[in-house]
Amino acid sequence: MSEKVGAVMVVGAGISGIQSALDLADSGFKVYLVDSKPSIGGLMSQLDKTFPTNDCSMCIEAPKMVDAGRHQNIELLTYSELVSVEGEDGNFHAKILKKPRSVDIDKCTGCGLCTENCPIMLKIQIPEKPPAPEVRDRELIDGFISEHADLPNPLIQILLDVSGKYSYLPRDVLEYLAFRLEIPFSNIYRIATFYKSFSLEKRGDYHVKVCLGTACHVRGGSRVLDKVRTVADIYGGDTFSIETVNCLGACALGPIIVVNEEVHGHVTIDGVDKVMNELGASKAEGGEEE
Amino acid sequence: MKFNTPAELESHTKKLVDSLDPNKPVIILCGGTGCVASKCHDLIDAFKEELASQGLEDKVSIRITGCHGFCEKGPLVVIHPEKVFYPMAKPKDVPRMVTETVLGKKVIDELLYIDPGTGEKVIHEYDVPFYKKQDRVIFADNGEIDPRSIDDYITLEGYSSLVKAFDMSSEEIIEEVTKSGLKGRGGAGFPTGVKWGFARKAEGEQKYLICNADEGDPGAYMDRSVLEGNPHSVIEGMIIGAYAIGASQGIAYVRSEYPLAVDNLDIAIKQARESGFLGENILGSGFDFDLKIYKGAGAFVCGEETALIASIEGRPGEPQQRPPFPAESGLWGCPTNINNVETWSNIPHIIKKGADWYADIGTNDSKGSKIFSLVGKITNVGLVEVPIGTTLRTVIYDIGGGIPDGKKFKAVQTGGPSGGCIPEEHLDTPIDYKDLTALGSIMGSGGLIVMDEDTCMVDVAKYFIGFTLDESCGKCTSCREGNARMLEILEDITCGKGTIESLDLLEELSQYVKDSSLCGLGKTAPNPVLTTLMYFRHEYEAHIRDHACPAKVCKDLIWFEIDAEKCTGCTACARKCPVDAITGEKKEAHVVNQDVCTRCGTCYQVCKFDSVQVKTGGDN
Repeated sequence: MSEKVGAVMVVGAGISGIQSALDLADSGFKVYLVDSKPSIGGLMSQLDKTFPTNDCSMCIEAPKMVDAGRHQNIELLTYSELVSVEGEDGNFHAKILKKPRSVDIDKCTGCGLCTENCPIMLKIQIPEKPPAPEVRDRELIDGFISEHADLPNPLIQILLDVSGKYSYLPRDVLEYLAFRLEIPFSNIYRIATFYKSFSLEKRGDYHVKVCLGTACHVRGGSRVLDKVRTVADIYGGDTFSIETVNCLGACALGPIIVVNEEVHGHVTIDGVDKVMNELGASKAEGGEEE
Repeated sequence: MKFNTPAELESHTKKLVDSLDPNKPVIILCGGTGCVASKCHDLIDAFKEELASQGLEDKVSIRITGCHGFCEKGPLVVIHPEKVFYPMAKPKDVPRMVTETVLGKKVIDELLYIDPGTGEKVIHEYDVPFYKKQDRVIFADNGEIDPRSIDDYITLEGYSSLVKAFDMSSEEIIEEVTKSGLKGRGGAGFPTGVKWGFARKAEGEQKYLICNADEGDPGAYMDRSVLEGNPHSVIEGMIIGAYAIGASQGIAYVRSEYPLAVDNLDIAIKQARESGFLGENILGSGFDFDLKIYKGAGAFVCGEETALIASIEGRPGEPQQRPPFPAESGLWGCPTNINNVETWSNIPHIIKKGADWYADIGTNDSKGSKIFSLVGKITNVGLVEVPIGTTLRTVIYDIGGGIPDGKKFKAVQTGGPSGGCIPEEHLDTPIDYKDLTALGSIMGSGGLIVMDEDTCMVDVAKYFIGFTLDESCGKCTSCREGNARMLEILEDITCGKGTIESLDLLEELSQYVKDSSLCGLGKTAPNPVLTTLMYFRHEYEAHIRDHACPAKVCKDLIWFEIDAEKCTGCTACARKCPVDAITGEKKEAHVVNQDVCTRCGTCYQVCKFDSVQVKTGGDN
C-alpha cells in the first residue's frame, strides 16, 4: 500500500460526513471534521425512524458518532464555520472560524446544571389571533366549512367544493381557510398541489379536457392534444385553458375531449379545429352563444 | 317507507312483484356515462315528449338505467316486454319507435343492430353476440333497474341477502365468503374472506369499512358502471360485510371525476337510510351501521389502501409501510377493512346463492366472474362479464368481434399501468390471476386494452412510464427518479437517439424500481416496459438500428408524402395544413415540404383518396 500523506477536511458532520470521515480515517488520512452546530450528528440524529425499513435512527448513528469522537485520526471542529478555501488539488489552505463556546469542552461532562441555573429564561409568547382576512363570498365558504364539520379533517372535501364553485382555488379563499381551520397555509398549499383535481390558476372561458387514458391514447389522443394546444395558442390564454386527464371512463368514444363539460367523442384532428375555432370566433365577436 | 322487521320487507317485495304487469310496455334507455356522452338525454327528452303528445304516459313507462355495457353502440334503447333492441338511436326515430314498436308491436327493420360478423340483423338484446356469450352475475341487473329507485332493486329480491345474513353468525358469513373463493377485484387478488377474518379478529371498539371506488386505471370503467347502475348492490354488500366484521361506520371513497356515480350512490344511501337498511337497529337485528361518501381529489396512487386512508384523513395520498396492515391499524388508527366496488357487489350474490354455487364458476384457482372493460382497437367496445378462466381469444374475438377495419391484432394490455402487453401467441391463455402473472402482466382491475398493428409498443411503454411518473407521489426515490430516467431513455429511443445498450440499462433500472419502491405503484410500474421488451424487442431494435417506427406512430421517425399518382389535387390537405407545409396547384399533385411539416397528421386524416402516405426509416 502506498503511504498516505496530507490531511482531508470534511465539511458537515451529518451521517454522510461522519461516515466519510471514518472511512478516510480508517484508511490512514488525518481528517478534520467541521460542522457549524455545537455537536456532530446532523439531521439524522433528530429523526425517529429511517426510510424504508423503519429502523431506529439513533441506533445506527450513535455508534458512528462515538467512533468519530474517539478516532485518533479525526479532529472535530464543531461550532465552527468554514470561511475560505484556497489552493489546488493536493495543497489546500482552509480558514475556519471557531465560534466562542465560553465553556471548556475538555472539562464539560454535559451535566446540564448550568442551563438550569441560568438566570435568563425564554418566555413563550403567544401572538394574538389576527382578524379574519378579506375573502370573496364569505357566507358561501362558511357554508362549505360547516357542511363538512363532522369530518375530523375536512380540508380536501372543502377544497373540492371551492373548486366546484370557482373551477380553481383562489388565493384569498385558501388564506381564509387557513385562518378558519387553523392550519398553516403551507399545509393547504401542499394538498392543493398534490391532488390533480385542484388548479391554482384561473381557467379560460372554455376549459378543454383532453383524455389521455390508454384507450384514447391508442386511438391517437396525443395527436389530438397537440392540435388542441396549437389552436389554444392562437387565441391566447384566457379563451381556452387545457387540462389533460387520465381516463374519463368513456373509453368507447375515444379519443374524447370535454369542452366546458360537453363531451365530444371520436374527435379527429380536423374536428378539434372546427369545435375550437367556432367557440373562439364566437368569443371574439363578443357573442354569447356557446 | 321504513322496514322494521324482515317480514315487513318481504311483504313489500311481494307487493311489488305482484303489482308488476308483464305486458306493460317499458322503454328502457341507457343513462350510463358512455350513452350520456352519446347524447342520450336528447333521446330521453324526445321519448317523454312523444309519450306526452300521444297521451301515453300512464300506459307506457320510461326507465333510465345504468350502463348496459355495449357503449360503442350508444345510446341504447330496449323496448320491453319483447326486448327489441335499437342501438345508436336518434331522436328523429322516436315517434316511429313509439307508434310502430311500442304500440304496433312491429319491429323497425332498418333500426336494428347488424352483427358485423355475419351481416345479419338482430332483433332482441339478448341475441346480440356481444351479450349472448357473456355470463353476467354482478352486471345482470344493470340493464333492468333504475339506479335511482330502491323499489326496482327490491323487486329483484334486493336486500333479501341481508335478511339471510342476519340469520347467520358473523363467523358463518366470513366462512361462507372464504369458501366461495372470492378474491379482491381491485387488482391484487387477496382472498376477501381471509381479509375479513383479520378485521374481525382485530381488537378495537370502532371499526371502519371502506369501499374503494377510486378507479384510476386508464381504460377501466367497470366500477363506475356498477356504482352508477346498481348502487344498492354495493351498499347491501357493505352492510353484510360490516355485520360480519363488526364495523359501525362505512365510507365510500369515490373519484370526483365520476359525478354521476357520486350522485347515484348518494341518492341510494339516502333511500337505504329511509328504508331502514342503514342507521340504527337495521331490520330489527340490533345492528347499527351507516355509510357516507368521501370524494377523492384525483390522485391515482389513492387506489392503494394506505394512501387512500391518508387521503380520507386529509393528508396527501402517500402510501405507508405495511405492517401494520389496515386490518390492525387503519383509518384514524382503528381496524379498517377495504374492498373494491366489484368485490362488494359480489357479496349479496354469494350470500343469496351460496358459496358452492359461486365456487362452481371460474377456475380451480380463481372463482367467480369478473367484469372487464374491453377498449381500444376493438369492434365491440364495452363492458364484458365472463367467468374467470375464459381465454383472451374468446373475449377479444367472440365477444369483442375482433379488430375493426381489417387490421391485424398486435397485443392486449391488461392490468392498467401495472400490467403488461400480451402478444398474439399467448391469446389462448385463460384470464386468471396466476396465468396473467406468469406472462409478466397482472389481472389488475380489469382493463383490457386491445392494440392493433398501428400501435407502437415503444410508444405504449413510454405512455405508461409517463403516466406512472406523473402519478407517482414522490415518496420513494426509486419510483420518482427511476421512472424519470426510464422515460428519458424511452424518449431517446422514440426519437431515434437510442442505443442498443440502453435496452439492458432499461431492464436493470426496471429491476431497481421494482425492488426498492414501497407501494404497488412503484413495484409494478416497470411491467409495461419489461413485457414489451420481452415480447416486442424487435420493435425497440427497429427504432434504434433503422430509425424506423414499424407502426408509424413516433413523430420523429416518420414523415408524410403525397403519392403523385393518387393525388387528385383537391387541395383539402393544403387548406387544412396548420403550417402551410403543403403546396400545389388545383387538380395537380401536391407536395409536402418536409422542412416545414410538423407531422401533425391532419393531411393524412383529411385525404379521401389515400394519397397521403406515412413513411418511416427504411422506406424510400
